[in-house]
Amino acid sequence: MRRTKFNILMCKFMFVTYFVFLCGVPAWAQTPSQPTTSTQASPAPAMNTPLAVSEASPPSAAEMAKGDPSGTLTGNVNDVPVSNAKKGLTLGDALNQIGQNKVAINFVWTLVTGFLVMFMQAGFAAVETGLCRAKNANHTMMMNFMVYGFGLFAYWVCGFALQMGGAAGVASLGGAAPLSGEFALHIAGKTWGLWGTHGFFLTQGGTYDVAVMVLFLFEMVFMDTAATIVTGGCAERWKFAAFAMSSVFLAAITYPLFANWAWGGGWLSQLGSNYGLGSGYADFAGSGVVHAVGGLSALAVAIIVGPRIGKYNRDGSSNAIPGHDITMVLIGCFILAFGWFGFNPGSTLGASGGGALRIGTIAVDTMLAGATGSFGAIFYMWIRYGKPDASMTGNGLLAGLVAITAPSGFVNTIGAAIIGLIAGLLVCLSVEFIDRIAHIDDPVGAISVHGTCGLWGVISVGLFADGTGMGSVKGLFYGEPSQLVAQLIGVATLLGFVFSLSFVFNLFVDYFVGQRVSPQAELEGLDIPEMGALGYPEFVLKMQGPGMAAGAA
Amino acid sequence: MKFVGLLLAVCGWLLPVASLTWTSSLALRFIFCLIGIGLCLTGILGFLNRAYVKQAIWKK
Repeated sequence: MRRTKFNILMCKFMFVTYFVFLCGVPAWAQTPSQPTTSTQASPAPAMNTPLAVSEASPPSAAEMAKGDPSGTLTGNVNDVPVSNAKKGLTLGDALNQIGQNKVAINFVWTLVTGFLVMFMQAGFAAVETGLCRAKNANHTMMMNFMVYGFGLFAYWVCGFALQMGGAAGVASLGGAAPLSGEFALHIAGKTWGLWGTHGFFLTQGGTYDVAVMVLFLFEMVFMDTAATIVTGGCAERWKFAAFAMSSVFLAAITYPLFANWAWGGGWLSQLGSNYGLGSGYADFAGSGVVHAVGGLSALAVAIIVGPRIGKYNRDGSSNAIPGHDITMVLIGCFILAFGWFGFNPGSTLGASGGGALRIGTIAVDTMLAGATGSFGAIFYMWIRYGKPDASMTGNGLLAGLVAITAPSGFVNTIGAAIIGLIAGLLVCLSVEFIDRIAHIDDPVGAISVHGTCGLWGVISVGLFADGTGMGSVKGLFYGEPSQLVAQLIGVATLLGFVFSLSFVFNLFVDYFVGQRVSPQAELEGLDIPEMGALGYPEFVLKMQGPGMAAGAA
Repeated sequence: MKFVGLLLAVCGWLLPVASLTWTSSLALRFIFCLIGIGLCLTGILGFLNRAYVKQAIWKK
C-alpha cells in the first residue's frame, strides 16, 4: 500500500519535472534561435568569399541553445564582426579580426605584466623598510609609497615624451605611430638620436592613442622601479623634501634620457647600424636602463648625503646597523621575484608574433638567475662568515634578477645560471667594497644590487648572448666581439653621464633645500621629525648607544 | 677634488663615444672603452667620493 503511494508520488514528481523542463529550457536559453554575440547582433550572413561559413562549421542555433558546458562551441565564425552586413563576412573582415586579436593579446600581456611590475613597489617598500631601523619605518615606507606618485606625475608631464616620443614602430602593439618625433644631431654623417618630442601629457603630437597608453603604463612602472632604488641607498637620513625633488628630476629627465638612447631609438641603440657594433647597445629589460640608472643615482645621492651617524668609527671601521624586520625583507624579496616575471617576460611587449613566444625562455632564465644569485651570495657569506646571512641571501636573489634583466631575452639557460651566480658573488664583494673601502653608507645594499649588478648585466649581454633571441643579439662567446664594445659604451655612459647628471642635480637640491636631516632628527628617528607619526606607535624604541636606536623594547 | 672627479667621470664617458669617430678598429674601441670606464670609476670613487669622505661626519 505504502509502496503504491510512493510510486504514484514519483510519477507525479517526474511529470511535473518534465513539464517544467520543457517550458523552462527555452526561457533559460534566452535567445534559443539566434546564437549571437556581443559584437554581432544577427547571425552571420552568407559568405561571398572562398572562406565560407560552412567551412568554418559554426554550431547551429539549436546546438548553442543547449548551452556549452565543454567550451568547444563558444567563440566561432559568428563572433567575427562584419563591416558590411549586405556583403556578409569577407576575407578582409576575418583578417582584420586576426590582426586585432594579435594586438589584443599583446595589449593584455603588456598591461598585465605592467601590473606585476607595479606590484614590485610593494616589494621594494618591504625590503627597504625591513632593512632600516624601526624608528625610521614610516619615513622609509612613505618614500617608497610616494615615489610612485611623484614619479608617475613627472613621467606623464614630460618623461615619457623624452623617452619614447620617437619610438614609433612598436609592431607588437600595432605600431604606436604617433610616437614619431625624435630630436637628433647629425655628426660625421651619422644620426644621433637624443630625446623624443611627442607625447607630453599623453596628448601632444597625437598621442591620445590606445597603443601609446599601453606603452606608457608599461614604461612608467619601469621608470618607477629606477626611482624607488634611490630611496634605499639614502634611507634613514634623507630629507623628505629633497627626496621628492630628486625623484621628480630622475623621472622627468635622467631616466628618460638614457632610456631614449637605449630603447627609444636613440644613439646607443643605433651603434649597430651606425658603427657596426653588433646589434647596438642591447638591454632587453633594463639592467642598465632601470637598475644601473637607479643604483648610480643612489650612489650620487649617498655620496652627497653622507653616512648615518654611528655607521663609521673615527678610525674608519664600520659598524653593522641591522634592520628591524628580516621577515619583511625576505617577503619583500619574494614579491620582487614574483614581479620580475612581469619585468622580463613583459619586455617582449607582447605574447603573439615577432618572436614573442620567447617569453617561456625569458621566464625560465629569470627564475634560474635569481636562484643562482641567491646560491652565490649564501655560499660566499657562509664560507666567509660561517653563517648563511639572510639579508645578503635576499640581496643575492635580487642581484641575480637584476643581472639577468638585460640578457634575459638573449641568453640560454646555462648563460642565465652563470650570470646569476656571478651576480650573487659580485653583490657580496661590492657591498664590502662600498661599505669598508669607499666608506659609502648604503643601508639596503641598493648601490651594489642595482648599480654593480646592473652594470654586470649590461656587460653579460656582450658575452653570453647566443644569437637565438630577440634581435639576434650575439655576444663574444658566440663569435661577435663588437657587441661587447657596444655594451661597454653603454656602461661608460651610465657611469659618466647618468651618474654625473644625477650628482649635479642633487648638488643643487642640497644647496637650495638640503639633502640631509639634522643630527637631532636622525638620532630621534625620522618618523616624527619628517613624517609626524611613528611607524610603530605602540612600540617603545630603546637607545642602544649613540645614534643607534633600534628594535622594540 | 669634487670638480676634478666629476670632470674625469664625464671624460670617461666621452672618450669611448668620441673613439667611434676616431677609429674603426674594434680593438682600439675596446681599449678606449676600458680606459673610459676606468676614468669614470677613478673620478667617482677616487676623487669625488674621497673629497666627501674627508669631510665626513664620522671624522669630526
